[in-house]
Amino acid sequence: MSSLEQYGKVFETDVLVVGGGLAGVNAAIAAAENGAKVTIVDKAAIERSGSMGGGIDHFAAYLETGEQWDTRQAYLAYAGKIARGAVNLRVIDKIYCGELPAAIERLARIGNPLTQPDGTYYRTQSLGQPGPYMINFNGKHLKPRLAKEARRTGCRVLEKVAVTDLLTSDGAVSGVIGFNIRTGEVIVIRAKALVLSTGNTNRLFENPTGLPFNTWQCPADTGAAQSMAFRAGAAVANMEYLRLTVVPKGFSAAGLNALTGMGGKLLNALGEEFMPRYHPAGNKAPRFKLVEGVLFENQSGRGPVFMDCRHLSREDLEHLNRTLGYDKDTLPDFIRQKGVDLSKDLLELMVSEGMQSGPSEVCASGIKIDEECASTLPAVYAAGDCADQTRCCSPTIAGGYAAGKGAAKYAQSVAELRPVDEEQIVNAKERVFAPLKREEGLSHREFEDILRKILWENLGVVRTDGSIRNALSKLDKLEAYKDRLVARNLHELMRVNEAQEMLQVGRLSAVASLHRKETRFGVFHRRVDYPETDDANFCGQIVLQKRQGEVKVTFNPLTYEIPEA
Amino acid sequence: MPPRIDAAKCNGCGTCDRHCPIDVIELDKGKRLAVVKYPDECWHCGSCRLDCKEGAVEIVFPPRMLLV
Repeated sequence: MSSLEQYGKVFETDVLVVGGGLAGVNAAIAAAENGAKVTIVDKAAIERSGSMGGGIDHFAAYLETGEQWDTRQAYLAYAGKIARGAVNLRVIDKIYCGELPAAIERLARIGNPLTQPDGTYYRTQSLGQPGPYMINFNGKHLKPRLAKEARRTGCRVLEKVAVTDLLTSDGAVSGVIGFNIRTGEVIVIRAKALVLSTGNTNRLFENPTGLPFNTWQCPADTGAAQSMAFRAGAAVANMEYLRLTVVPKGFSAAGLNALTGMGGKLLNALGEEFMPRYHPAGNKAPRFKLVEGVLFENQSGRGPVFMDCRHLSREDLEHLNRTLGYDKDTLPDFIRQKGVDLSKDLLELMVSEGMQSGPSEVCASGIKIDEECASTLPAVYAAGDCADQTRCCSPTIAGGYAAGKGAAKYAQSVAELRPVDEEQIVNAKERVFAPLKREEGLSHREFEDILRKILWENLGVVRTDGSIRNALSKLDKLEAYKDRLVARNLHELMRVNEAQEMLQVGRLSAVASLHRKETRFGVFHRRVDYPETDDANFCGQIVLQKRQGEVKVTFNPLTYEIPEA
Repeated sequence: MPPRIDAAKCNGCGTCDRHCPIDVIELDKGKRLAVVKYPDECWHCGSCRLDCKEGAVEIVFPPRMLLV
């Protein structure tokens, strides 16, 4: 028995994937195909975990069909246009464009092709795209199929394990520690290289329905990777952006791009199609513009706002109903139970809860990655919605694979596992399990409610220097209450840990917001004290990194020439 | 809150417990019955219903989501 086994169960692997969502399973398959021994660890089962576990209906891609908009060059130009200041085109070119053909081929190979039953692509245009990039497909069972492929390629899967800390050795990451959420067993995983892919941060801002788990993306995703990687010294970027979307009133469900892509129109209470007043692309404007339109119509007394699909042909309505169910399995149930028939009724809409996620479909926010998906921490790669350049279905499938390849290559260059510092294990165990020992204190729910209120009131759609400083001062006080958090069981212990991850992400978001003295992506970062977009000073990323216990803030300028093919 | 599990149809296989991404459902091994233990933490992804071979899962949205 190694000395580490006195603390819990110990696993050893070449590549460890933390978070087996869409990015994670693709990373695992890549690492296994590139000769690594792979372990995936997830709080749930990789068959259905993550934001696309229950299904997905679209895959954004250019297909080089000869149309002007359907090329790599046009896609990069579009990315640079809708995500200017946040997207790094050199990274996107390498990990998205570079991996796109293989990603399309991989999905077909595992039995989930992007084509319709007749072999053709069904493509729609939405969210600011210059042409119909959205390939509609049935991704209801995409996750189980990818999970099966990961298991077939020999990946070991550890389910129902919450990872709480990265373990470091001489500045490099040597593994992770966590616990089984059902048995409480401590799990230590030693790895030569890691891929972090735990998604974005949800449950972070007050939910308009008062139901904190009624979130657009998976509420189990609470910024684990961003939080752990930052604590271990990794740089994070694009953290200031508040992401919002437009959803059916009452249900924060995916489906907006399906509705607008099929020709759905946004109407205000006066029956006016208002989006052309906000953006030349009207109902097919970028997401941040749709949010702005709905929000401002409501605030101007022209709400509520509705989705109108009544003019669609029967054939298009049938396709829409099908594709909405692929994107969010229960959305057709919701619409039906609400008594709405899209062929004759309007569907009321609302602006969703806020979340930490990228400001556009083509890039994200979180761990800063390079053209190999490597973070600034040796041995650590990142992909999916916790990395600063990949989110949404297709960039995540492509980027996940790139991260797995990078991690496998790195693992091959490392002769043996790095030593594990036992003191770090002792400290992590002590911190993580302390809430189970407390008799009384603050529940995770109360703690989270306070956090959500502070962030929404001060870091929501109206931000000023004063409101951001107010948030930071209140978050400082909340920080002191971490030591009072209680958990009555292991499920609550997982939630307590998630609440602390969310606090960390909230603080990073506030710090980055303070330094971005301009407005960018409309209400996604709306500094009313600096209402203009200031490309001369802020066309780039606010980068945060922990140095000697302090948050070091730097600026990474970005330029938008299209990289050479 | 969704989901609702029909005890008469549930065969206790535990798939919904395993596949729930949020740890909302837990199998009562003694009774061989899946229990929706944390209904207010459900995010309505539908994975439990998609993967239930017995058709024991029904999704029922609460009035709070339908009526507001």
